[in-house]
Amino acid sequence: MLDRESTFAQPEIVKLLKTSFVPVAIDQAYQRRQQDTEGDFYRKIAGQGPRSNFNGTTQGFYIATASGKLLLYNNNRDPEKVLRLMQQKLAEFKASGEAGADTAGIKASKVDERYQPKPPVGGLVVRVRAKVLDGYEPTLDPWQRIFQTSMSRDNLWLSKAEHDALVGGTIPQSLQQRIAMYHLVDNTRGEPPMWNEKELRKIDMKITDGKISGVAHLQAAKSERGFEANIVGEIETKDGKVTRLDFVAKGDFWGEGQFTKNAPKGRFPLAVSFTIADGTDVADQIPPQASRGWVRGYIQE
Amino acid sequence: MLRLRAWISVGVLMICANPLLADEADAKRNGPLTHAEFLELHKELQPADEPWRTIPWKIALLDAQRSAAELKQPIFIWAMDGHPLGCT
Repeated sequence: MLDRESTFAQPEIVKLLKTSFVPVAIDQAYQRRQQDTEGDFYRKIAGQGPRSNFNGTTQGFYIATASGKLLLYNNNRDPEKVLRLMQQKLAEFKASGEAGADTAGIKASKVDERYQPKPPVGGLVVRVRAKVLDGYEPTLDPWQRIFQTSMSRDNLWLSKAEHDALVGGTIPQSLQQRIAMYHLVDNTRGEPPMWNEKELRKIDMKITDGKISGVAHLQAAKSERGFEANIVGEIETKDGKVTRLDFVAKGDFWGEGQFTKNAPKGRFPLAVSFTIADGTDVADQIPPQASRGWVRGYIQE
Repeated sequence: MLRLRAWISVGVLMICANPLLADEADAKRNGPLTHAEFLELHKELQPADEPWRTIPWKIALLDAQRSAAELKQPIFIWAMDGHPLGCT
């Protein structure tokens, strides 16, 4: 999120990525483990950098040639520094023989299916975005300001049975539970802790004449973190398909997680919005964060 | 025109300085979710002008490798813990 709002909001970096590089975004926890052609190519590149132990994280920005030669590893998020390094490495690339060299495209001779999660056939992908609406102390720190105004992005996956139930006018318990436990979270400052079944105190959603309404109550065992929200929305269907699914959960959130520090003090208003992903956004293809390495547990078909 | 701008400025200042109106705005943000607020919030949380979404990201490294070979351009890899286009 920080990178999206800082490095990749810098106009010159955006322009360079559009015109002079082939940009790719990956969850390296997959690529460094994948036992296939793509994993081999990733490890070939990352292994030339300082993070060559593939039992640990290899996160960062990499610039590499199509032949797999590493030109840059950087894990500093300062947009000015990233821009300077990109310009420098691009100039070096153009001056080298690599720029004019013919390199063959790599065909995937082996695909590790464990790391190729796909949305359920006949189901739905729903965009989920969250924002803290109020409660932060004023700050002059530009990085903190990014966190304080940030909007998160995740996807919710529905099975075909859940989609069909929505068409019939009901919201199955499995879907309500998934929405509550994995998507009613404050992920605006980093990777959030999800809720477990004991922490799910209440989720009750219903459809009445095309209107969605509901309440949710999530609370950690020692009450150090919680969310009490109302849910309001609308649903439309046509010819056996859900054509619109818009709803918002809004209420009081409190607490923070190991990677979501610096939440507002006490209770603060958090809104989480849901809308059908129409496939026009590349992020529509990203698996839900809660499904990471555990798709069957997430979707529980 | 200048007079109109001045009146608008005074009006904005009066609204911002009026504690009753400020309380009303706070109550709206912090109060129960109404249907009208759902519509407003839902729109607010679907911004159309995010620069990172205008970048033609690929999400498969081998797709990027093949494009880089064809276009004779370097690959820029954004590799994170959790997917950088989602996750948070």
